[in-house]
Amino acid sequence: MVLSIQHLSKKYSKEKFGLRDYSLNIENGILGLLGPNGAGKSTLMKIIATISKPSSGTITLDGRDIVKEPNYIRKILGYLPQDFGVYANLNAYEFLEYIAAMKGVGGPNLRKRIEMLLEGVNLIEAAKLPIGTYSGGMKQRIGIAQALLNDPKVLIFDEPTVGLDPEERVRFRNLISDLAQDCIIILSSHIVSDIETIADEVAVMKGGMLITKGTQPDVIKSVAGKVFEIVMEGSAVNDFKTKHLVINSIRQKENTRLRYISDSVVNTSIPCTASLEDAYLFLTKNNA
Amino acid sequence: MHKMNNYKSIIKGDYQQRTRSYAFLITLAISLYLAYTFVPAPGANYTTVKIGKYVGENNTAWIGHVTAMMTSVFLSLFGFYLINSSIKKDRDTEVGMIIATTPVSNFKYLFTKVLSNFMVLLTITGLVSIMGIILVFARSNGTPFNIVQFLLPYLLTTLPCMFFISSLAVLAEVFLGKWPILQYIGFFCLFGIITANVLPGTGTTAKILIDPFGVKMVMTGMENLVRQQYDATATVGSVGFNLSSGQEVKTFLFQGISWSALYIISRLLWIGISIFAIFIASKFFHRFDVKEKISSRKKKNIITENIEARNVLQEIKRSALPSILTDYGILPFIKTELLMLFRKGPKWFWLVNIGGMIAMFFIPIKIAHQFVLPIVWFMQVGRWSDLASKEKTNRIHYFTYAAYQPLKRLLTSQIIAGIVIAVTLALPLLIRYLLAADLLPVLNIFMGAVFIVLLAVCLGILSEGKKLFEILFFGITYFNLNLFPITDYFGAVSSGKSLALIMLPIIAVLLMISFVKRKYEIEHG
Repeated sequence: MVLSIQHLSKKYSKEKFGLRDYSLNIENGILGLLGPNGAGKSTLMKIIATISKPSSGTITLDGRDIVKEPNYIRKILGYLPQDFGVYANLNAYEFLEYIAAMKGVGGPNLRKRIEMLLEGVNLIEAAKLPIGTYSGGMKQRIGIAQALLNDPKVLIFDEPTVGLDPEERVRFRNLISDLAQDCIIILSSHIVSDIETIADEVAVMKGGMLITKGTQPDVIKSVAGKVFEIVMEGSAVNDFKTKHLVINSIRQKENTRLRYISDSVVNTSIPCTASLEDAYLFLTKNNA
Repeated sequence: MHKMNNYKSIIKGDYQQRTRSYAFLITLAISLYLAYTFVPAPGANYTTVKIGKYVGENNTAWIGHVTAMMTSVFLSLFGFYLINSSIKKDRDTEVGMIIATTPVSNFKYLFTKVLSNFMVLLTITGLVSIMGIILVFARSNGTPFNIVQFLLPYLLTTLPCMFFISSLAVLAEVFLGKWPILQYIGFFCLFGIITANVLPGTGTTAKILIDPFGVKMVMTGMENLVRQQYDATATVGSVGFNLSSGQEVKTFLFQGISWSALYIISRLLWIGISIFAIFIASKFFHRFDVKEKISSRKKKNIITENIEARNVLQEIKRSALPSILTDYGILPFIKTELLMLFRKGPKWFWLVNIGGMIAMFFIPIKIAHQFVLPIVWFMQVGRWSDLASKEKTNRIHYFTYAAYQPLKRLLTSQIIAGIVIAVTLALPLLIRYLLAADLLPVLNIFMGAVFIVLLAVCLGILSEGKKLFEILFFGITYFNLNLFPITDYFGAVSSGKSLALIMLPIIAVLLMISFVKRKYEIEHG
């Protein structure tokens, strides 16, 4: 399965773009989308999920234009939006049956599938209570369950780990890895570590444009040999920050340990192994 | 000075957030049209303010007084529904939680809500008065325009009334905030009581004092003038839309009334009562510390909290999940939509609905059709008003718009579910007509059910909210109960075949607009 995005643009006004000439091919596996707020991640995901139309460009799934034929992808789509709501007076069973109807799935096994998904997201005990009584994390889990209802082949998760506790995040990552065998999974997150651990490929976005796309080692290469750490007195930190791209600072009594990216090494600095977070910050800050 | 600026900023913010909506723009457009109808054109087949057979000659005084009085009565009627969710909005958006942590006092908060309500109504009043001025120039045959004579009735009659309504809306939210439907019905009853008991009859001092609209004294002044100078037998005047086709209407010269001290005191009294009532309400205001659920729900809340505390996301093995079949039918949608419609509002309210249905079985069929059916249907206003806008307000549209064929399947199911509720409630009446082999009213009632549901769907989609439909439905029901033929959408007044011919194209237009706009929304997010 290949999802092909070619010269995609989303224009809100004369000056304002959500996406600008965006091209990307996505194949089975997990694509992690990274980018600061306003980078266009949610816009891209909404367009792929067919709830927003591009101003120009094409998106095809196995050669079929999904802008013109949205129902082609809708049948095999699982989508977890960033900021979704629920009908407060339905319980989990009723809500998932409703979503199943939307996705056009049914049959004698539907109830059993819903039950297993509710068990999987640990909502089975609360399944008969109105969703209005659920906490934020529980709502997020029901969002994950609904995305898997129709045996999707294209899964879009927009900030899926929001509201999940650390243990749930780990389990969610395992789930995604299991699903990725024969699916296209597109995952966005502000938390680089969520992407780092599971994404086969990473796409870094900024200002509606694609800055880079590749495997994690490819992306990390952009900062290889440029990441250093230095310990200095607190009074010198501000001056140092104006001259170098500092990506992390930790106060240690009177001194401060700084992690920075630079083409030239500063005295007493120690070279460090570059991470995806270093590359992400370097790419998004350097492409201002 | 600093405190005054704070007040101003809060009111300004509140006012801007409420007026920057399509629903408000549409309300303004409707108000403008209504204002135009307040002064009938020469040869029109209706009158608005009338003393027996007399209406005033169109001049500044007459048009000023008539438009001010009509605004008092009709903007009270519609305005309450427009402004009665200012506190709810803060609660829904959780801005209320932030407000609760600020030093603002309950009284100050509620009073700013009254003032921003008042500003909203004032905007509409301003627009109506502008239309009034245009009508003076268009219809007064060159008589001079006197700004003071024109504006005084607005100042003394309309504005205190609008302040009272603004305060009443806040009071309703404080004391009946959990039950919006009771606010609707309560105001409907209050409005009915005032218009039925205060406005008709001779203008006694007591009636003038207890008239919040402020129109009784003005009417009395007009009546006295007509009786003294034109017709001693002239009957008591009326305010509202009255059909007068074929009736002879005479004119009299009206040059304004003398505003008595008693009247001015009574108007100030209503403002004072409104402020005092807000002061009392501030002692009972929940300040957003709301017990969301009744005791049994509270128990359930504790259960969900416990569940969350000891459980986390488990492993889901995709291969272990049972296979599913495709099913593109709409029955599951209709079932869920019906479930949601049924569960909306307090459960005991269904007892009232059932009471209405039983009444439709046993009382005279004409009364059941003309009065009980529109009331029973109006009681479903909260169920229908967000039928097609609830996806957006509940942020479910991310799922529904990405669903398989959402337009054909989901919107259709919502409309069908709404119609099922309407027809079910009208069932006793339908059965009686069927038993009497009287099929035309059955068709008319069915058409009425389709129309009112489609109106809710269409206005919900257009305005992306529920207020517009609620306001309009309230107005339509009010006119239905006054047997006004133009709003008779279910054949209660005229049961001829022509109703179907009128309703069918209207239904088709509503259907078309709903589908076209929803299609656009689905395509553009």
